[in-house]
Amino acid sequence: MFIGISAYNHESAIALVDNNGNLIDYYREESLSRIKGDKSFPKRALKRIFNIHNLNTDAIEKVIFYEKPLSAFLFPLKEASKFIPESMQLIVNQIRNFKKSSLSCYLDIAKEKPGLEKKLIYIDHHLSHTLTTLFYSDYQNDVCSIVVDGFGDRSTTSISYVRDKYNIKELWSSSYPNSIGLYYSSITDFLGFTINEGEYKVMGLSAYGDSNSKEAKLVNKLMKWDSFNNKIILDLEFFSFYKSITDSYGSKLISMLGEPRNPFAKLLPGDLTFQKYANIARGAQDSTNNVLSKIFNYAHSITRSENFLFSGGVALNSASVNYISELDFVNKLIVPPSPGDSGAAIGASLYGYLKSKNVKCIEKPSLYPSNYSCYDQYEAISKLLDKNYILVTDNHIDSIELACRLIKEGEVIGTIISNSETGPRALGNRSLICNGANSKSVKKLNNLIKDRSPFRPTAPAMKKETAYKYFELNPAVMSSYKTMTATCKCKKDSISLSFPTTHVDGTARIQIVEEETILWELLDKLIIEGIDIIANSSLNISGDPTCFDLIDGLMVCSITPLKYLLTDIGMIKKR
Amino acid sequence: MDNTKILGILYETIYAEHGSALEMLAACKQAKSSSLAFGYFEHSKDEYNHTKTFRKILSNKTSGINTSELRRFRITPQGLIRKGYVSQNGYLVENMSLKNFIAYVYTNELLAESSFSKIVKLLGANTEEGRSVMKIMEDELRHHGKAKEYFLRYFPFLQPWQLSLYKLRESIKNKGRKFYHSNIALLEHIFYPLYSLFALIISRLLKSLNLKEFKRSNKNLMDINYKSIL
Ligand SMILES: [Fe+2]
Ligand SMILES: [Fe+2]
Ligand SMILES: [Fe+2]
Repeated sequence: MFIGISAYNHESAIALVDNNGNLIDYYREESLSRIKGDKSFPKRALKRIFNIHNLNTDAIEKVIFYEKPLSAFLFPLKEASKFIPESMQLIVNQIRNFKKSSLSCYLDIAKEKPGLEKKLIYIDHHLSHTLTTLFYSDYQNDVCSIVVDGFGDRSTTSISYVRDKYNIKELWSSSYPNSIGLYYSSITDFLGFTINEGEYKVMGLSAYGDSNSKEAKLVNKLMKWDSFNNKIILDLEFFSFYKSITDSYGSKLISMLGEPRNPFAKLLPGDLTFQKYANIARGAQDSTNNVLSKIFNYAHSITRSENFLFSGGVALNSASVNYISELDFVNKLIVPPSPGDSGAAIGASLYGYLKSKNVKCIEKPSLYPSNYSCYDQYEAISKLLDKNYILVTDNHIDSIELACRLIKEGEVIGTIISNSETGPRALGNRSLICNGANSKSVKKLNNLIKDRSPFRPTAPAMKKETAYKYFELNPAVMSSYKTMTATCKCKKDSISLSFPTTHVDGTARIQIVEEETILWELLDKLIIEGIDIIANSSLNISGDPTCFDLIDGLMVCSITPLKYLLTDIGMIKKR
Repeated sequence: MDNTKILGILYETIYAEHGSALEMLAACKQAKSSSLAFGYFEHSKDEYNHTKTFRKILSNKTSGINTSELRRFRITPQGLIRKGYVSQNGYLVENMSLKNFIAYVYTNELLAESSFSKIVKLLGANTEEGRSVMKIMEDELRHHGKAKEYFLRYFPFLQPWQLSLYKLRESIKNKGRKFYHSNIALLEHIFYPLYSLFALIISRLLKSLNLKEFKRSNKNLMDINYKSIL
């Protein structure tokens, strides 16, 4: 078996691929530690994988780390060394914290599972991303892979050509610090949101902005594509992330745009400063779309490929995915369900399998790879159930029936159903759901339970035929609609424009539900009742990771107005 | 007292409360009996609610302070580990005996209660915020009582005076932690020039280091030596 590890930079994760090339388990450390964005060495995930599959170290052929640790350590340091004395603090900090960097992977593995460290190997970071995407792709030969993130282990963006799974040649890369990801994160920071978490908010906010506004134009100009040298050019004078540990943007950005937004203030459409910040977000989104389209154009020109794999943290930007999918030379655009670094553990584990002796074909992984059953905790929570909850139904058929009735009545329901998604999107097994056409229900889900920013809409889930009815679907990203990695436009004059799940710009991040899933089962029954859209958001309290187990789900019920939890053991109701 | 000082205290308190919520949740998931699990669940729920209350108070105190100052008080889940509110080695129940864990809860609830009384003084006992913190203090006393009850039930041979001993030990540890941190801060101050010199030498070396050799252009990424860390 093969273990893939991603850690130290973004959410850490562990993936397990068996000797037949199947992804049989996967956990983000944050799911188990309950600390959002947990990037520490994934010791709980590693332990769980060993326990659940009854593994010993002999059963593991290789452990594959998702980047080259020394490169990842040296490149930013080398860049910072150009800016001494300004960057002194950063350099001191980096050197003193090397134990929290990829360099300590070997020691951390040895500490948690002695002996396992001897099987450790390291692969190129962008290769991890490419292999993850390839795992989920229908196209495994003659396809172009584009990876765009903050910073990998030596570049921030790369183009490679996948002749086949053993021949993946890098053709172009952009070096640190010219990074689309870090540009977007710096603007996220300026807008008062947390880096590596608030980027979604910026994307949602940008829909309210005006591309022709002064602010949008100024921000847009800070990142460009140099078509003569084929390079991403970031106007570094406005940023500080490459020389400071505390500031991502520089004083020049403040002089240009005014005071950064107060991170504690509520941002509400219609407020005095709302438009200004929305315009700034618009500028960042425009610039990102623009530079990405130039990169795809360039990739097309050097490979002639019309089929693309797209991954890295920037591929989490579903509006950009939609934008690129509309470029006229794009035939297929494949984005994995977890395009960021945590998903890269999956590609790393696949690498181990591909390098082993008995390689057959590679099977597309399940969208729900994290093993779990509520029955595992049934005993443990019996007193809690007794005291604070009622098990209203105890079999699947009755539970589905009741769930449909409640949704029809406008109730919001949480789900903890068997295996969990890879994240970051909840596809139904760890979701908050309600009638997607009922504004009151969607509002309750958003405001009362999730405490979500009012400028970010909830996503609608539906069957394929419903999606065709309401939305302009792009065949290039059909697979993305299954995993909520792309947005799409409502049809002209369609009633969907007025759905509470539709964004202010007339787009929605739709989910086309797969057969034999919980949402499919519910929709099957709800459609008869005239409900063909379910609003779907991840089950969590604002600022917390998505729930993983039954106890996490009950905690959300206990501290929010959420009343119902649909689980493996039945429908649970709060007393 | 100026507002930034109150912000600083609230900022640390939010981390401490969130940290306890997670500690109790972890204890709930590892509990040996369903009644212990229930107890820890309820405790965790309270701590989550306390976190929420303190967050609200912190937000209310930010008006009129400039944004660059406020950035220091942004709460991120990562801070829990970085600031040591959750140990890098894992949650207490993952590393402690049940006995020590309960004793820890017993003392820490008392210590929390006493530090909150200082916050009430700062906020004003007659303000709405002061009253909500006083409610939290009641919770902490209840947690303290519950832990004591458990302790005496599961370890009946221990006498109350032994609990006081535990309390003394924890308070000393807490004080020690503060002393250690202030000492570390001082040492940092003294050694910073040394670190800087070291960083300067390293940066000189780095400048002359040519990383271009590690460019992967036109290389088959699948064939790169997987033993190499560069
Ligand atoms: Fe990455
Ligand atoms: Fe508390
Ligand atoms: Fe407490």
